[in-house]
Amino acid sequence: MERKNSPASASPSQVIEVNIDIDPDADPPTIPPITNPSPTGDSKACRGGTCDLSYTKDSHERFASMRKLIIAVVLCIIFMTVEVIGGIKANSLAILTDAAHLLSDVAAFMISLFSLWAAGWEATPRQSYGFFRIEILGALVSIQMIWLLAGILVYEAIVRLIHDNGEVKGFLMFAVSAFGLVVNIVMAVLLGHDHGHSHSHGHGHEHGHGHGHSHEHGHGHSHEHGHGHDHSDEHGHAHGHEHEHDHDHDANTMTTYFHHDHHHNKDVKEQLIKKEKKKSKRNVNVHSAYLHVLGDSIQSIGVMIGGAIIWYKPEWKIIDLICTLIFSVIVLFTTIKMLRNILEVLMESTPREIDATQLEKGLCTMDGVVAVHELHIWAITVGKVLLACHVTIAPDADADVILDQVIGYIKRDFNISHVTIQIERQ
Amino acid sequence: MGMQQKKEKESFSYQFPDGDRRLAFSRQPSFLYPSPSPSPSPNPLMQRSHSFTRSDSKDSTSILLMLAALRAVANGSRPIKRLALMISLNVAYSMIELLFGLFTGRVGLVSDAFHLTFGCGILTFSLFAMAMSRRKPDETYTYGYKRLEVLAAFTNALFLLFLSFSLAVEALHAFMQDESEHKHYLIVSAVTNLLVNLLGVWFFRSYARVNIVYWKPEDMNYHSVCLHVLADSIRSAGLILASWFLTLGVENAEVLCLGIVSVAVFMLVLPLFKATGSILLQISPSNIHPSAFNKCSRQIAALEEVLEVSQARFWELVPGYSVGSVSIKVKNGVNEDQILQHVNGLYNDLGIQDLTVQIDYM
Repeated sequence: MERKNSPASASPSQVIEVNIDIDPDADPPTIPPITNPSPTGDSKACRGGTCDLSYTKDSHERFASMRKLIIAVVLCIIFMTVEVIGGIKANSLAILTDAAHLLSDVAAFMISLFSLWAAGWEATPRQSYGFFRIEILGALVSIQMIWLLAGILVYEAIVRLIHDNGEVKGFLMFAVSAFGLVVNIVMAVLLGHDHGHSHSHGHGHEHGHGHGHSHEHGHGHSHEHGHGHDHSDEHGHAHGHEHEHDHDHDANTMTTYFHHDHHHNKDVKEQLIKKEKKKSKRNVNVHSAYLHVLGDSIQSIGVMIGGAIIWYKPEWKIIDLICTLIFSVIVLFTTIKMLRNILEVLMESTPREIDATQLEKGLCTMDGVVAVHELHIWAITVGKVLLACHVTIAPDADADVILDQVIGYIKRDFNISHVTIQIERQ
Repeated sequence: MGMQQKKEKESFSYQFPDGDRRLAFSRQPSFLYPSPSPSPSPNPLMQRSHSFTRSDSKDSTSILLMLAALRAVANGSRPIKRLALMISLNVAYSMIELLFGLFTGRVGLVSDAFHLTFGCGILTFSLFAMAMSRRKPDETYTYGYKRLEVLAAFTNALFLLFLSFSLAVEALHAFMQDESEHKHYLIVSAVTNLLVNLLGVWFFRSYARVNIVYWKPEDMNYHSVCLHVLADSIRSAGLILASWFLTLGVENAEVLCLGIVSVAVFMLVLPLFKATGSILLQISPSNIHPSAFNKCSRQIAALEEVLEVSQARFWELVPGYSVGSVSIKVKNGVNEDQILQHVNGLYNDLGIQDLTVQIDYM
């Protein structure tokens, strides 16, 4: 979208500090944006064929995620070769099995990397919405692999139970799984750490949070108060006003409002530089790789406990199976939330962060609008939402004006950028 | 597209308990309510009724959902009942096999039981999708629940791909390890498995083809179930063949058989995987050639009131139901009713049932 210039951005050396204490439980104040009603109607239609479905604006985030995953893959491969060599030398099946688990980790990372890379492909006429869905399908495949691996682990525990003739060496199990746990924790930290150091502009913090799901779209991003601003990359808007901060990093502070809970306090002063916006939502593929690694470390803990118990008391072999079962169930529970998100996107359902009833009510209360029907809100991927509906207006109303109003309302209040409205007269 | 849907398919005797559902996706004014509500204007566009009711029963707890699914199975059509029967047979068999393997200490039986249980889980998801797909669209799922069938078919196809990979790995393993005697005591289990799966193939025998044109969403689901049991039976047959070859003294029989089975399953499942994947990826409807879309846009742009046609995007919700949106710039002061009708008619002929047209005035 285009930048709207205003006189406030004329002098680059102006320091503007806006501090607002927002009550975290109240609704954030809605401030009407300074729109420029252009007669050419380009505030409604997107320029170019693919508009902002071509992901070029999110490429920073994408490259950062890809970089993280590549580092994780390289680490994994190094560890795997170490384990394979050690296992062949020591002639132990347990170490080789653990190396096979690391191989599955590598496979999951490869899937995530491929999904991230493929999501950046340009939209084609056959694939008119771009390739973002590949992310979701890749995450689905990853999660199915997690389930598969949990099942394989339970099966191996049962096999260990059956072949109970001293083949189970408690100490070896313990040592191997401890090593695997350390590796997995290193990678979990690498993947889960969402702070903004990896961004090339070096701006202030972005706070990742533990769920792959953000409540941010309705209310939680920073509001523009006239001068201070932010540049919301993820939906392709360029709201507003932009300051040039060539010299002073502290030029623009703003108090923003976070919806999700977090170990920082609710009112956090952010430092914004140039065009970066905080992303408190993790990419769905990085999150699924993170879940994979987390699941592996949980299972390593389980195997470690089982190995320690067997090492201590070799006759309680059934503890191994029980431990593995319990920890596998825990792993499955961690994936449920993400699976639900994926399922909702694939079923074209209304995303959780959009309140469809409120939207419909808001639309109906506009003057000129008689009814709203066939309202469909669905998401291409976790961040991008589209809307299509039919609006019936009074016979004498001005269709153009109402169209502008409706689209503006939806974009402003619900941050849905891709809107198609069919206006019908009664 | 409406005419094509009424074409007779191969003769299977499935009954449609609530009317011929093949007509369910033919031209209708509204997807939500099949019967148009009475309205003063004869305009078909205006017959779309109000937005979805909020008084639909929303079974939010999973127990109620399960009960609803069970009820749907009991009253469901024949394929649902047959699938339920098959799943229960498989579950019973795998339970027996698991217990037997645990008590007698045979690892092969346990691994087979696990594999069967996974397959049963996936088939249960297919069953669940079949039962749920008839629910009316509600507030969160504005397009209804039909997508679940496509998802279940995709999951099945994915599972079969994993199966083929694991069989290839097993073949490699057998090739390197050269221990070829551990398959002998699995003969009984393989034969039983084969019989159960062949029964399943018989139930869904009209879908036992590799390339099928999908007219309805249930087609995809049934096809995926059929391929699932077919692949399982091929695998059991392969194991039986391998043991027989071993008794005949053929070297590396296991590797050969497992390799052939793996390749066969992979080739079997690839078209289904591609078809379901392309629906889930929001690819343009596969039954409509892209040049037809271009022709439609050109026809619309050729109208004298229309300045520009942009952002024509189409996707397939389920096989047989396509949705689209298009943005048109027109001159000021034009009657939009006519244009809407014309555009809708054009795209309806292509097969797009649900179209949203945004008209921008210049």
